[in-house]
Amino acid sequence: MDSYGDWLRGRTDDQLCALVSARPELITPVPADLGALAARAAAPSAVSRALDRLDRAALAVLEAVAVLPSPTLTALKKALGARSAEVVERLRDLGLLWPGPSRSLRLAPGVRAALTHPAGLGPSARETLAALPLERLLELAEDLGVSTAFASAPGLAESLAERLADPGPLVEDAGPEARAALEHLAWGPPTGRIDNARRRVGLAEARSPVDRLLARGLLIATDDRTVTLPREVGLYLRGGVLFREDVITAPVPSGTRRPQRLTDQIASGQAFTLLRLTEELLEHWGVRPPPVLRGGGLGVRELRAAAGRLDLTERDAAIVVEVAHAAGLLDRDGGSSEWLPTRSYDLWLLRDAAARWTELAGAWLETDRVPGLVGERDDRDRTINALTDGNIRSSAPRVRRETLAVLPEGVAPDEESVLRALAWRNPRRASGLHDRLVSWTLHEAAFLGVTGFGARASYAGALLSGGDVAGELGALLPEPVDQVVLQADLTAVAPGPLVPDLARELALTADVESKGGATVYRFTPESVRRALDAGRTVSELLDLLARHSSTPVPQPLSYLVEDVGRRHGRLRVGTALSYVRCDDPAALDEILADRRAATLRLYRLAPTVLASRLSRQDLLESLRSVGFSPVPESPEGGLVVTRTDARRAEPPARPPVEHEHVVDERVAAAAIRALRAGEEAASVGAPEGEPPRTPSISLIEELRAALGTRLWIGYLDQQGRASSRIIEPVRVDGGFLTAYDQTRASIQRFALHRITGVRKI
Amino acid sequence: MNDGPLIVQSDKTLLLEVDHERAGECRRAIAPFCELERAPEHVHTYRVTPLALWNARAAGHDAEQVVDALIEYSRYPVPHALLVDVADTMGRYGRLRLEKHPGYGLVLVSSDRAVLEEVLRAKKIKPLLGDRVTDDTVVVHPSERGTLKQALLKLGWPAEDLAGYVDGEAHPIDLVETGWSLRPYQKDAAEAFWAGGSGVVVLPCGAGKTTVGAAAMAHAGATTLILVTNTVSVHQWKQELLRRTSLTEDEIGEYSGTKKEIRPVTIATYQVMTARRKGVYAHLELFDARDWGLVLYDEVHLLPAPIFRMTADLQARRRLGLTATLVREDGREGDVFSLIGPKRYDAPWKEMENQGWIAPADCVEVRVTLTDSERLAYATAEPEERYRFCATTETKTQVVQRLVERHRGEQTLVIGQYIDQLDELGERLGAPVIKGETKIKERERLFDGFRSGEIHCLVVSKVANFSIDLPEASVAVQVSGSFGSRQEEAQRLGRVLRPKADKGSARFYSVVARDTLDQDFAAHRQRFLAEQGYAYRIVDADDV
Repeated sequence: MDSYGDWLRGRTDDQLCALVSARPELITPVPADLGALAARAAAPSAVSRALDRLDRAALAVLEAVAVLPSPTLTALKKALGARSAEVVERLRDLGLLWPGPSRSLRLAPGVRAALTHPAGLGPSARETLAALPLERLLELAEDLGVSTAFASAPGLAESLAERLADPGPLVEDAGPEARAALEHLAWGPPTGRIDNARRRVGLAEARSPVDRLLARGLLIATDDRTVTLPREVGLYLRGGVLFREDVITAPVPSGTRRPQRLTDQIASGQAFTLLRLTEELLEHWGVRPPPVLRGGGLGVRELRAAAGRLDLTERDAAIVVEVAHAAGLLDRDGGSSEWLPTRSYDLWLLRDAAARWTELAGAWLETDRVPGLVGERDDRDRTINALTDGNIRSSAPRVRRETLAVLPEGVAPDEESVLRALAWRNPRRASGLHDRLVSWTLHEAAFLGVTGFGARASYAGALLSGGDVAGELGALLPEPVDQVVLQADLTAVAPGPLVPDLARELALTADVESKGGATVYRFTPESVRRALDAGRTVSELLDLLARHSSTPVPQPLSYLVEDVGRRHGRLRVGTALSYVRCDDPAALDEILADRRAATLRLYRLAPTVLASRLSRQDLLESLRSVGFSPVPESPEGGLVVTRTDARRAEPPARPPVEHEHVVDERVAAAAIRALRAGEEAASVGAPEGEPPRTPSISLIEELRAALGTRLWIGYLDQQGRASSRIIEPVRVDGGFLTAYDQTRASIQRFALHRITGVRKI
Repeated sequence: MNDGPLIVQSDKTLLLEVDHERAGECRRAIAPFCELERAPEHVHTYRVTPLALWNARAAGHDAEQVVDALIEYSRYPVPHALLVDVADTMGRYGRLRLEKHPGYGLVLVSSDRAVLEEVLRAKKIKPLLGDRVTDDTVVVHPSERGTLKQALLKLGWPAEDLAGYVDGEAHPIDLVETGWSLRPYQKDAAEAFWAGGSGVVVLPCGAGKTTVGAAAMAHAGATTLILVTNTVSVHQWKQELLRRTSLTEDEIGEYSGTKKEIRPVTIATYQVMTARRKGVYAHLELFDARDWGLVLYDEVHLLPAPIFRMTADLQARRRLGLTATLVREDGREGDVFSLIGPKRYDAPWKEMENQGWIAPADCVEVRVTLTDSERLAYATAEPEERYRFCATTETKTQVVQRLVERHRGEQTLVIGQYIDQLDELGERLGAPVIKGETKIKERERLFDGFRSGEIHCLVVSKVANFSIDLPEASVAVQVSGSFGSRQEEAQRLGRVLRPKADKGSARFYSVVARDTLDQDFAAHRQRFLAEQGYAYRIVDADDV
């Protein structure tokens, strides 16, 4: 077992399955055999992707294996603690570590190259010395008292390396300033920059601390401007320790403890607020839509106006806008120039509060847009607007999930410790953007009500795992009520969200004065008149109030309704485009009686006035054509009532978001079998004879029954040519068979209706 | 979900369901950090404002208590953003403190250097400060103590004033509790003030604010300057002090338009203090005339702007503000907070009424339908004459007559704005009329007669609104007078509806002409009264 490929071949199917499931890029596309798989696993890109997924503990183990002189499990446990054994197991499953001779561990091919300065240590003295020219080695040997007899460069390097294996006396000899200089490099990075690094320094003439170190080989020049601290010296300075802190244990974000009940209360309160804000904004934009900017997106001014309207900061208003858009509730109207609520918004409104929130929070979790970027400047120093592609960061959904997942139960952690915990989990992902995304995520989670006072709400877990968020949140949100409290100051207090019917009627009859957990309505003569205008009668209104009031209707309120009702409708207003006026009622009688005038749609308002729906010009001409001779009056009199309709855009088609390339278990298993098959010396040839023919009814049954076995099928390709394939069915769904096609060495989909027959092999 | 009595609204109002079994304890828990805005029969509305939160901080409450109270009593989840805002706002108070330094005198000390840096950069603050002696300490010019506090409040970083007070010239004053005694809440109010150093006591009209003032003077035991709204008030205060304390006539001076006495206890009017001669305030020296140990402001919500400016220079003296409401029509609540001091005591109107300290009232709006000819005349009247016209119609006068007739034998006041109307009413009702031109002597004679029960009905003009010695009545009929402002209305009602010997409920009628401007004013009044928690009914004149 002396090659990585051989080791892989020796792994069980289950182990290989675990490997390709964890590193799906290894089987896309499926390589021909395990040898090819091993080669692919060693490729720099594949190693780098694998390392990117590791946490600090796993990386530390790899680094330790890279630097330990004899990296056995025992040595690892000694260096990193007993728990490093589990990590080793994990790394082995990932094919990043594999056993070497005499119980040692080896890094998989390509891994060492991907680790620069493992554990913050430089290369060993032997490696660094080997790169030096012979004369420099001779000089060093001279100064360090190493024999130069029979000197060849490799031999000298070897002897010098042995000398440096115990650098204690040399370090002491170099003096305290020199040691202080070394300490700077001790914990990495183990390289320093100085001018003219390859200068000639003999022990005798070395004065400055750096010179003294160079003369003793405690620092070795690796190029003109770089000096490197050999690993042995570094380890000596550290007292043999590889890592300063415990790298194996995952840090847990710490902070103030919070009772879960309190957290839930606060978070769900905020969740309810988000719904109200979203509704308020979209209702407003339904009537007064903001324009789409020429470059797409929402203008700064519009965002500011929205923030003012919702009494939020612009940053929070951007969250409302982006989340509404991500949830498909807001979009540009089919290429037109306005941002409008979509039809999905209307459907959304019909759902109960918890379901509505779940939709918003889910969309927030998935969206790759980052509201936090809104208002900042891009690399070309242009302002990033809301709702533009400029604020897309593809890592945002992943960071959101990871951040929420790392929040501990019942604790409101500080941002610092969250960042630390995340950095441990994905040390190679740390970047300025990452940290800012985390910070934004924490803020957005609080604003959305995923956290309360910094601690995770109980329903956040369900949100992450796709569980029953609505159920858990629903229990926390106020129940709709159908009773209001009426008061003598002409207000009605709805002590909770109202059932929709009552909410609509009250909104018609009274003005909303304050919103929140409850709604305060105020009855005014104008609002009561509005209800009467909409066709309600006084008795209907009084009845509505009496029915839905938990206390008697206050006398001033019923008086108000009756008083407005008494005056309502005493004046009548209608629409007429033109009129006919005549001081002699008899003349008007004549017109009305004239049968030819029937088409003029005249009606009498008063003895001396007729009104018409015709325009003045039309009426004039018509009357003239019938034989009268009217003259036009001054041009006033027309009244056109128009109502601006709230408009809606079509909801956008949202493709499902794929997070990570997740490998279906069965696909992975099939791939493994395929690899095994590839290993068989010769690939299976097509059996002799005609392609099989099976009656189509039994075909599906047969395919289902044969999942995981090998089949020979007859297949008509797209040109209608008959062919035969050796396949391993993986699943049958949607009119397709997914199977590993041995003939083509790939996973393929076959249309069921083109399969002519099946036979077991 | 909780079954609490409180609902927290996103506009930072709190709705308290008063019939809830835990309403009482909830009210006590939230009262320190919010102001009662409306108190109708079922659901009371409180508002959380920055000033209210800072008042709470000044009274020793912290953000955690506020948040706990909200969560404890809230029926529904409280939005996170609101709680954060509360905590932020409260956290701003006390980062800056005014202290007395043994070496440098008055200094501004900060526990948060960033805040200090921020305010030091503000243009308005800079000239008020002297040298920066340490990183966290800046010398303050003693004369700018008040101005600095005002400016800091405007920046949103209210300073806590711990610099102490001068004792002033000692002058023994004792309460003489013969035939009366300090009510428990009055005692609490005076003590809360004394413990806090300076500040405002909020008590409803008729709850005995003067007595609280007297108790505070007894605590101080020092010379006192009292500033009141008008001359009638001066007399009222003097009478009260003579009755309630050991002070004698000689010790109390009156400083008004007519008299200029400076005594150990001096009562001055705002008017005389703000009177200017050739562009300068002529009586400013009164503030320095003695080494006052206590400055007392009556009706703080009416305090005129120049007095604020003068008060800015009085920050080393103890100050007590008395008022029925912290709401100022001019929005200068912040100046009251920074210059007089934080709220030290507060008791809601309705609660005192329940305890029997002030009279409950039954408010009735009588709607009068004008005759057709009156309506036509009203419609054609000049805009500026319209209100006068509908307020003084003959039909109304008849209704007033009927109302007075109905309550014959009870002490009745008829209040109006227009002298002609009042004269006519006086004639028809056979009742004496008190108006602006009535001599003080005559006025006092009539009031005494009314008090003793010799006179049952008085017709009074608008002056009644402001006269502190208006006798109590069990029936008041308002026949005209626009709805001035909330506090004017509170005043009017408070004056009329004093606690009565029999603790019976008082009745307040407004006679209103239907479908006119009069009705619009009435709508404001109705809202105000209902919000104050008074029973309110509307009846048609025909039903009277």
